[in-house]
Amino acid sequence: MKIIASYNIKGGVGKTSTSVNLAYIAAQQDYKTLVWDLDPQGASSYYFRVKPKVKGGSKQLIAGDRNLDGLIKATDFNNLDLLPADFSFRNLDLVLDERKKPTQRLKKLLSPLTEEYDLIILDCPPNISLLSESIFAASDILLSPIIPTTLSLRTLEQLKKYIKDNKLKHLQLVPFFSMADRRKKMHREIIDTLSEKHPDILQTAIPYASDIERMGLERKPLGAYLKKGRSTVAYQLLWQELLARMNNHET
Amino acid sequence: MTAIPLHFELPDSQTAIKFLKKLHKTIDFEIASQQYTIKTFYDSFDWRLYNADILCEFNQSKSASYISLIDRNSGVTFVLEEQQDVPRFSDQLQNGRLKTQLSALLEMRALLPVSQLPHQVHHINVLNKDKKTVLRIRLDEYESLANHITLQPLKGYDKALARVSLLLQNSLQLKTTTPSATLDHALKYQGRKAQDYGSKLALKLDPKMRAGQASIIIYRQLLRTIQMNECNTIADIDSEFLHDFRIAIRRTRAGLSQIKHTLPSPIVAKYAVFFAWLGQITGPTRDMDVYLLSYEQYKATLPISLRADITPLYAFLKDKQIEAQKELAAKLNSPNYRTQLANWEQYLKAPLAKKDRAKNAHISIKELADQRIRKVYKRILVEGEVINDSSPAEALHDLRKTCKKLRYLMEFFQSLYPKDKMKFLIKSLKDLQAVLGDFQDYEVQEINIKHFSEEMMANNIPSNTFLAMGVLVQHLDAMKCAARDQFAKQFTLFEQPENQRAFKHLFAHKG
Repeated sequence: MKIIASYNIKGGVGKTSTSVNLAYIAAQQDYKTLVWDLDPQGASSYYFRVKPKVKGGSKQLIAGDRNLDGLIKATDFNNLDLLPADFSFRNLDLVLDERKKPTQRLKKLLSPLTEEYDLIILDCPPNISLLSESIFAASDILLSPIIPTTLSLRTLEQLKKYIKDNKLKHLQLVPFFSMADRRKKMHREIIDTLSEKHPDILQTAIPYASDIERMGLERKPLGAYLKKGRSTVAYQLLWQELLARMNNHET
Repeated sequence: MTAIPLHFELPDSQTAIKFLKKLHKTIDFEIASQQYTIKTFYDSFDWRLYNADILCEFNQSKSASYISLIDRNSGVTFVLEEQQDVPRFSDQLQNGRLKTQLSALLEMRALLPVSQLPHQVHHINVLNKDKKTVLRIRLDEYESLANHITLQPLKGYDKALARVSLLLQNSLQLKTTTPSATLDHALKYQGRKAQDYGSKLALKLDPKMRAGQASIIIYRQLLRTIQMNECNTIADIDSEFLHDFRIAIRRTRAGLSQIKHTLPSPIVAKYAVFFAWLGQITGPTRDMDVYLLSYEQYKATLPISLRADITPLYAFLKDKQIEAQKELAAKLNSPNYRTQLANWEQYLKAPLAKKDRAKNAHISIKELADQRIRKVYKRILVEGEVINDSSPAEALHDLRKTCKKLRYLMEFFQSLYPKDKMKFLIKSLKDLQAVLGDFQDYEVQEINIKHFSEEMMANNIPSNTFLAMGVLVQHLDAMKCAARDQFAKQFTLFEQPENQRAFKHLFAHKG
């Protein structure tokens, strides 16, 4: 069982598309998969047509008063479940702060689910907070979409420093380019330079494409309405590369 | 936790289209797919999967073919794997959950088609306001069987399940049914029912019944077992058809010799010869089957460095088995066998009056059972008590045969005595038989492996194979000695006063 956090300090970089599309591909390949929509905006929940509502809200959830399993909803796709978002998740930091060992809280809540699922993908809100620390403690992989801009280099380095400073040795940082537009000279240049400087960045880049933006209209993962498009193939390659990276890391 | 699936049956008068029209009036749904599918139920001949509450289905359609294992009580599919066809043996499947689950239950038994049902499958998604699927409905539309509806709940949407289930029961007046209803109906259509074969004797005798009549009932059931296993023994579907065939023969022989004087002596003499012959012609194939079934165990006893070297033994055994099987099939297809077995069947079918000439035919079966079990039990005590560390192997072999006679008698007459007491005594006998059986098996195997090595010498076999076989013989000898050492302890347990009292009390004829 692996826990992957789709995370970036910045917003609007494609974290939710990554979570939803990789979860869909993994489920199709018989990995029993759960997406936990931790973002109060509830975009993953929206894509799966599930109401962004959790009984008891963040308080009861973090307190462990509610069995996480009882809050899970099946999606329309085999092997793929969702733990929906709730508007109260905007206060997750405060709720965590009231608990003992707040950074270990998410890990503890997830532990009963590790038997049932092969893969848990956490769709994270964009910030560095107590919640992110809790996410880092619970996850095996920090999958980080980065837009090829100069600012991205800074955020990637910030993240690396944070992981190093906090001695998060269990956590494997896996960055990849997202919303990449090969028509833009700057994107091309940054992809080339950053890839050289940071060989840990995955080879596959997810393109900036209207196909992916259509997910909001279709309310489905990309692969469910576009079987063979360029973007669909890109996500499949990304999944294969990620899988290989995870396997290599294990051995 | 996801709720368990619910099952309904459509009445004969209602087609799938009619049902969908009715459903459409009250709920929003979409038809996800409609496909012509051939469903085949699989199980072993002795219903090992059904006995373990499992249904094994192979569904073939244009788009996919898969094997699924379904819990017979809850209807939950717990294994589903894509497969193009169903291999005869589970160990031929690729590694995975399906193989693990099936191998543990089926062991050496073949997976055989039980019933094949071509049908139309409709997959229906029940939708909510957001067009999200909240329940799946599977409608299996058969030509000659009742159409089956399965409500397949989705995690977190229990309310939708409850709502549609109520709708089907109340508004559409559908009856609930079980997950195995379709298989049960299909079997009924074929004039069969599930679990219609088992290798255990299931006799129900009336204690007051005349012994002659009771013995005929026993022989008839044994004959049925012989006949049920005959065809697949000839076809060599799996090793257990021959095994059950032989046990029924051995039991018939034990009956003829041990249920004394219930049939006329000339009949007993005639058929004792026939069944002895049957026992003898089936022996060589069974022996080879046993070696082949033990092969993996043999291999495991060897040091790792020698394991690959024993492979030529497998090929040798397989060749011998094929040869022996060919000869056996020819003999079981011979007019001699067919005529004699048909005559035996005729004899058992004939009116009782003609058979009641034997000395014990008129006494009650309970009286005869008491007498026979007591007598054979005493014989075991006498034979066992004289065996000591220096007794020859033959003494143990003779005792093993006597134990087998007692075991068969107790199994024939089990229904005449209290179940729990009988179970207890059979268990203590079984423990003794296990030690004696091991001793005999290891001895025979040791001798035969030596013979095989002599035969294999002529076949240009690498010397390391003989080295491995030598190690195997050494292991078998050690196991034989261990069984011999165990004998005294096991016999003391068997002849303990408590057992003796139980035997004496249970089988003392009270008139």
